[in-house]
Amino acid sequence: MKTVIKTNNLSKVYSDAAVPVQALKDVNLEFKEGEFTAIVGPSGSGKTTFLNVIGGLDKPTEGHVIIDDVDIATMKESQLFDFRLKHIGFVFQAYNLIPVLTAKENVSFIMLLQKAPKKEMEKRAKEMLEQVGLDDKLDVRPGKLSGGQQQRVAVARALASKPDFVLADEPTANLDTESAFNLLDIMARLNREENITLIFSTHDQRVIDRARRVITLVDGAVDKDEQFDRD
Amino acid sequence: MKVLFTLAWRNLWRNKRRTLITVSSVLFAVMLASALLSFAGGYQGQLVETMVRQETGYLQIQDVQYMDEPSLDHTFEYGEGIKEALRPFEEEIKYTVPRIQGFSLAAKEMSTKPAMVSGIDPESEEKLRGFNKNLVEGAMFSPEDNFAVIGQGLAELLGISLEDTLVLIGQGFQAMTATGKFKVGGILEFSLPEQNNTMVFLPLKEAQWYFAAENRLTNLIIMPEDEEEFERLARDIREKLDDEWVTARTWKELMPDMVGLMQMQSTVYRVIAWVFYIIVGFGIFGTILTMLYERMREFGILLSLGMKRLQLALVGLIETIIIGIMGVIAGVVGAFPILYFLYHNPIRLSGDMADYMLDMGMEPVMPFSISPDIFLYQAVSIFLITLFIGLFAMHIIFKINILEAARN
Repeated sequence: MKTVIKTNNLSKVYSDAAVPVQALKDVNLEFKEGEFTAIVGPSGSGKTTFLNVIGGLDKPTEGHVIIDDVDIATMKESQLFDFRLKHIGFVFQAYNLIPVLTAKENVSFIMLLQKAPKKEMEKRAKEMLEQVGLDDKLDVRPGKLSGGQQQRVAVARALASKPDFVLADEPTANLDTESAFNLLDIMARLNREENITLIFSTHDQRVIDRARRVITLVDGAVDKDEQFDRD
Repeated sequence: MKVLFTLAWRNLWRNKRRTLITVSSVLFAVMLASALLSFAGGYQGQLVETMVRQETGYLQIQDVQYMDEPSLDHTFEYGEGIKEALRPFEEEIKYTVPRIQGFSLAAKEMSTKPAMVSGIDPESEEKLRGFNKNLVEGAMFSPEDNFAVIGQGLAELLGISLEDTLVLIGQGFQAMTATGKFKVGGILEFSLPEQNNTMVFLPLKEAQWYFAAENRLTNLIIMPEDEEEFERLARDIREKLDDEWVTARTWKELMPDMVGLMQMQSTVYRVIAWVFYIIVGFGIFGTILTMLYERMREFGILLSLGMKRLQLALVGLIETIIIGIMGVIAGVVGAFPILYFLYHNPIRLSGDMADYMLDMGMEPVMPFSISPDIFLYQAVSIFLITLFIGLFAMHIIFKINILEAARN
């Protein structure tokens, strides 16, 4: 299987605090195409920092993040905008949809930034909303959707542009059990059907139980890297 | 670009009340500033109209030295040369008003007073000044008559009445002695005391004879068909004249003090207008800052997703400019009907103010202008202010730390 992300000796130190904080310590990981990975660990273990660094939102202090044969740690900010747009999908804990756009427009938004053809964009947005069970909410704005529905739109948005991988930072943290299971079912199905690499940071046992690979971070270092056969 | 406009437009209506209050503040500032500038424009227009009608015309041909030394030695011959030079402009010239004028002493028996003797063509002068309405006694002369029409104040100072003889003595062209006796055939009342107490009008030919300046003029006033074009017309005529001897001057060149005064007034009015704009600018600034800071998290997310800073910054700029444009359009739409009404129905003044204006020879009204410049000025000024605020908004967006904003 093709390697989608590879990190070499990845370290991150936040030196702007009174005492420098080592958020990541020598992290060497590889993520293959189609993996469903949960990054777990206690608060402050470096999960979010790890996602931010591999998502090009933050720079490592040392080490490399190789995506598509390119070290994104050396990229300029302007290059990173394009890179994220093309290669990475994001799902955030608090849904973070654009409140003034409808569900369909939110899903189309990334494709719009990618300057995709209008017809193709609309077709894909409808298709994705159908996949997440919201084909009856195309023209509804986020304010009129429940938390679970908003997060499903966020998943549709992240996947619509067919990124190389999707980073999801605690995506189920704000959802009730039913919504969380519903979302996880959808993500697992899309992972299988679209062969999209999914990487979650989570505390949520419901997510961990679904993941085929669970990486445990402790104090910024990889403590365990386990594979599970969930099928 | 369309998506940026869509985002900006929809963002503005996330908090309708706030946007409407901000737009209303621009609306009221534009209305107030429009009223102020419209009055200033109307008042200055009335002032110019009065001065042009009473004094200089829009432009006039003079001897090149006449402006610095207004004496009869600096007259020019109104002959074929000048007429030939003006011929190409016949369609652009509504009419001309020839004048020869100089100071003399006016006397009756033992009384002598200084007088401004003005030789005029009564028909064209009537078109310019319409002063037959000022006639309080007698009649205005025709070009062939040889009697004088004088100011009422001068008549009282000299104790002269209709049919009495007025003696004039002064210096004519090239140091010739000018003397003449003229019967008083009419008395005019002028609101300006300096005119009322000094003016003596003679038919042009009589005045030229009196000043020993046959066929010569001190000024040939030119009234253009299109009054807006007077400066261009003056330039064009100047090119056709023998610039060693004669030139064409506009009212602005002839009355530099008045132009300076008007510029000062305009500056004061514009400063007041800018005070309105700046107050409104702070209102817009506050709204935009609030709109920016309450959406920091959203900005962080949009930047995380791959939206470029420039695209996001343009959304901020467009939002600011839309507020400005809506305010200006609403302000102009609100102000124009009121100013249009006042333009056609100026407010009549009464009391001391009315007397003062009548003394100045002006109609006692508060005139308003509806010149497009006034509204264009508003649009440009508000646009510049909103552009400045919009650029500041862009600056804030360019400085956003994506992670901090997304965690906000």
